Amino acid sequence: MTSPFDPLRDQLLGAAESLADGPAALPEILAGIVDDVDHALREPLEIFPVCHHSPASALAMLRRLREKQPKVVYLELCEDLQPLLTELRNCRLPVALQAFASELDGFPAESAPLSVIAPITEASAEYQAISYALDTPGVELVLVDRSTDHVFQWQPDVSSPAGTPEPEDDLHGDAVGVEIGDLRPRFAELEEHLLHHGRVRHWSEWWDQYVEQPLAGADHETYRQVMVLVGSLFRRLAPHDTKRYAGDEDRERYMWTRIREHLARSGADPADCLYICGAFHAASRVPEAGSAPGTPDFTITPRTGTTWLYGLIPSSHSAIEAQFGLAPGSVSIAAATWQKQLQKLRLTPFRLEGQKGARKARKALPLPAAASGPVVDHLTGYMAGPPVLDGLDEEELRGWCVDIVRLARRNGYLASTADAIAVFETSVLLAGMRGRVRPTPYDFQDAAVTCIEKDTVPGRRDVRRLCEILLGGDRIGQVGYEALPPLARDVYDRLAPLGLDLEQRSIQRALLDLAARPELTACSQLLWMLRYLLPDQAVRPIMGSRKLGEKHIQESWDLDLGRNQRAVIELGYEGVTVEQVLEQRLRRDAWDPKATAATALKAVENSLLFLQSPRLTDELGARAIELLAAERTVDGAPDVLRRIRRLLAHYRATTPVLPAWCGRFVTEGYAHYCTLLPTAFVEEETGVRQVGAMLGFLFSMESLALSLGCDRTQLEIAVRQSHPESPAKIALLWAALHQLGALPLADLRERVGELLGNPLVVPSFPQYVSGFVQALEPVPRLAPFVVETLSQAFARLPDPVLLPWLPNLITTLKQQAAELVPVLTREAGRTFPGTLAALDSWTAPWNAPARSRPSAGPAGPGGPSGPAAAAVALLAANPASADAVAALLGCEGEWTPLAVASGGEATVLLTAFPASAEAVAELIGT
Amino acid sequence: MSDMLRAPAEVKYAEELDWLESVDDGPKPFSWRLSPKMVRLFVLGSERADGLEREIAPKWFGDRSFVERSIVTLASDRGLLLIGDPGTGKSWLAELLSAAISRNSTLVVQGTAGTTEDHIKYSWNVSMVIAKGQSRASMIPSPIMTAMENGVIGRFEELTRSTSDVQDALISILSEKYVSIPELDDDNIVFAKPGFSIIATANSRDRGVNDLSSALKRRFNFVRIPVVTNRKSEAEIVRFRTEELLRRHNIELEVPPTLLDVLLQSFADLRAAAASAGSDDERLESALSTAEQIGVLEDAILHSNFFGASALTSETLASSLVGSLARRSPEDLAILNKYWHGVIEPRSREQSGEWEGFLSGGRQAIATLS
Repeated sequence: MTSPFDPLRDQLLGAAESLADGPAALPEILAGIVDDVDHALREPLEIFPVCHHSPASALAMLRRLREKQPKVVYLELCEDLQPLLTELRNCRLPVALQAFASELDGFPAESAPLSVIAPITEASAEYQAISYALDTPGVELVLVDRSTDHVFQWQPDVSSPAGTPEPEDDLHGDAVGVEIGDLRPRFAELEEHLLHHGRVRHWSEWWDQYVEQPLAGADHETYRQVMVLVGSLFRRLAPHDTKRYAGDEDRERYMWTRIREHLARSGADPADCLYICGAFHAASRVPEAGSAPGTPDFTITPRTGTTWLYGLIPSSHSAIEAQFGLAPGSVSIAAATWQKQLQKLRLTPFRLEGQKGARKARKALPLPAAASGPVVDHLTGYMAGPPVLDGLDEEELRGWCVDIVRLARRNGYLASTADAIAVFETSVLLAGMRGRVRPTPYDFQDAAVTCIEKDTVPGRRDVRRLCEILLGGDRIGQVGYEALPPLARDVYDRLAPLGLDLEQRSIQRALLDLAARPELTACSQLLWMLRYLLPDQAVRPIMGSRKLGEKHIQESWDLDLGRNQRAVIELGYEGVTVEQVLEQRLRRDAWDPKATAATALKAVENSLLFLQSPRLTDELGARAIELLAAERTVDGAPDVLRRIRRLLAHYRATTPVLPAWCGRFVTEGYAHYCTLLPTAFVEEETGVRQVGAMLGFLFSMESLALSLGCDRTQLEIAVRQSHPESPAKIALLWAALHQLGALPLADLRERVGELLGNPLVVPSFPQYVSGFVQALEPVPRLAPFVVETLSQAFARLPDPVLLPWLPNLITTLKQQAAELVPVLTREAGRTFPGTLAALDSWTAPWNAPARSRPSAGPAGPGGPSGPAAAAVALLAANPASADAVAALLGCEGEWTPLAVASGGEATVLLTAFPASAEAVAELIGT
Repeated sequence: MSDMLRAPAEVKYAEELDWLESVDDGPKPFSWRLSPKMVRLFVLGSERADGLEREIAPKWFGDRSFVERSIVTLASDRGLLLIGDPGTGKSWLAELLSAAISRNSTLVVQGTAGTTEDHIKYSWNVSMVIAKGQSRASMIPSPIMTAMENGVIGRFEELTRSTSDVQDALISILSEKYVSIPELDDDNIVFAKPGFSIIATANSRDRGVNDLSSALKRRFNFVRIPVVTNRKSEAEIVRFRTEELLRRHNIELEVPPTLLDVLLQSFADLRAAAASAGSDDERLESALSTAEQIGVLEDAILHSNFFGASALTSETLASSLVGSLARRSPEDLAILNKYWHGVIEPRSREQSGEWEGFLSGGRQAIATLS
């Protein structure tokens, strides 16, 4: 069979022979690429090769669609994304089609959530095809590529998110990107070689110069042949033994199988159809490729049970560049080129009806042109001649030069008209030096950097970035209200009373005067929920907070929902309302395998704050009890203590009775911590703070626990079983014993005095003090003693012992400021003199002579004195009630005869001079 | 071989330049001896695709766009300011460019604190002035003025080291392109001929010494030359410069590639350490540039040649590295000591080979200096 490409093949083979010292595969490759073109063109179903972000592809597509007006368009795009396409009408491009799955079935659970995105830009061939097919009656659009489920089925490692991108490039999150027409050399050496010899810096520039521009004005046949040729070349030079290559071949088999299925089903004539795929796939030679009936089919594996959810998320040029590794600015430049070419060629692009900027009434398409004649070789001419470039567009370049100088000046550069002239001149010179007639945007960028950039960048953006902005700028898409998932629409609806334009991509300040406008309370409630669910910067309270027991009458918020639309949309995949998502999240937190009692309590607290749902709160509370009972460590004890205290305080203030779970939590906790106490005291891994928090729980919840049926002996035995070895924990145990009444303060003071007196123990004394500091929380009445011990430590410890410990003390106090510092400072304020003058005559209470000491502990042999003495005297005088209580408790006590107060000097004095006492009595009326 | 210790580029590559000039058919701006494309080819070397009959070796290693931007600047009416860290090859690039464009790279003014306006414009031969009075004959033109008169490239090294008034003298030269000589009654203006331009270099580290005025900045295009961090091109630079040195000294000595790897790796490590250091005390004083690497290797080669067994060993390399980089005592020595014990020691255990000798040589050198 003869082919129009035979002469070209012969010519190339001749060239290969003349390069006899080249690689042996050279003739095969050269002849192969021509064969591939021939093969692709013989296919009765017209294959239309495209490349991503290529204005030339988009232009060729636009012209071809007008000319041919196919009845069926097959498109290389995940087949399950099809229902989304019509929603593009409501969006401002670029946006990305997204498939999202958080509940996985058939994939490893740890890789959740799975997300696939396919960005769509206006300057793309696929958008032209989509718009044509959706808006032209009688035209069917069929997506034929593997489903998103297969994307992950075929991907070797599902759980491998890419590195963290820049925030502004992060519009896609860590989704896996799919694109139509990924065309790039598959091995680094080839790309390097092409860049080097093309005298360009990166791939986008090479493509622009050697394929894009020469093809911009080319006719359809040339375009098609050249694209298949390039695709074939890269295909033949790609490493064939990789998983990626195998995956690509499988996709081709998949697509052709789907196409044949559709052809058979619909009975469409292949001549009326158009198959749009990447140039790489256009040159496919797999046996399953071809529309002819009888071609072997590919066995398509069933999808997994994973439920996929679909939606649109906003995208941006820079996000696309970051995701697909394109040169910064290349997508913007492509968009600018597309616009320019449209104007130049006076073409009207296809746009989806309803989209912003789309024309209302579209002119009917002209009648399709007659079918093209026999295939003619357009390749020889293309390959033999140098790239035909447009001449120098002086007007455009001059515009750029003036604009960049203006932009630079606005960004702090000292640029002037002279710079504009210099940039113009330099661009032309650079282009000439790089063998181009016309400076490309990249040449212009280099020239601008050379002429304007000096030693420092004055503002936030450097000249390179300014050029990118100038040459198109980053365009950020937006998903319209209609195309949003129900949750996102609900959010916008419910925030409508605020009267703000939440779609704007800037921070909006919302002022909520809840006293004057009570109807805004619902907005406030929603904002707090969003605050909990969305990333930090999306909604930010400036004034106001939400804590248990607090109620604000005014709030102000910074809302940035416009820029965080993706987050709101992705929330929509989790549920229908924000409340539902929140409930799910709280449940997920509490039932997480790593959840602790503290996290469950946190969920309880959040449920009280955000959702008025006693049922959920009870469930979460019950879960907290479950988790607490199962815990074998006490790491979370401080957190548990803090949270349960707060919750108890909340319930006491708001409800007549404690919820059942709260009581159970306290009793369970009491028993649980009693059981763990002896081990916690001994274990080295358990910190002093944790043990302190356990004791805090036990002591401060004691009355409640006892009233609910706990037994105090459990605690007493637990403390008696504790035999700590580290000094800090010993101090804590002493404090506990003191609280339980087993260690009077005088003994405690004595023990501490002994420690300080023993030079062998002095180096570890600071650790005892640390233990006492931790005891402030469980035994607050020990505060005077802690102040005393601290003062003693500062007074008596030698510097080599004291100084290394000080930072430790300070950091402890700083970390636990909320619990420890108020107690300590209050007590210190009580103990130490308040003025400088008073300091001279001040004696520390513990240094004062014994008789003027405040009676903090059990009295010495002299019996109680002060107010205690009066109480004793009263009881002794009226023993009936005390006896009754003793009988009730079953204690047989006996009355110690009260030593008759010896009177003392004061009594003697008063007896001798009764006048003043009587006057006082008279004055106070007794 | 020429009898100059270090021949300027136009002498050293005279034959190559002649040949290039003979085959150059591209358009040449002003009085340039080579077309811009050929200048680029001379600096960056040729490839098969250039279709030349002979191979031109690359002489400067770095991004092609830097060279292109520099050449284009010289063809425009602005001066070229090469700015970068010490040892990044700014002066070498300046020399190559002027050699290629005007076959004269020696019209150099060295910027120092003592540079005066006379060094940029002209001064007088005092005895001649006394004997014959002021005339063009008794005037001594500066290198810059000579460059203006001949329409060639003048060079100004370390521009930021000279004082602001001296820098300001350049402003009028760069904008009006003439120097007037008020002392003379007639023939008192020297106009620059087409082809005249200035290549200045400035050290980005001591930019603060005498920062350029914005008026002068405007008259220069800045091309920033970064420190080479690409292992491959750095290896090429070091090899290129060392070979040159060996030729110059007539030394028959082999630099084993493994040893070159050791050198490159240790510099890369030290750079990474310097980048993550919190204060200047934790950072070596040296900029760790490619030139520094060449210096270390040169030292080691010369030492091995004259005092060693005519073979470069890793011990010698290590002691040369320590000797070159330990400038401050004790800070630099402490950093090197930490590096040697924290990085080299485990590596020598894992990889052995040259690293073992490198470890012992370095240790010894640190011990001697401490």
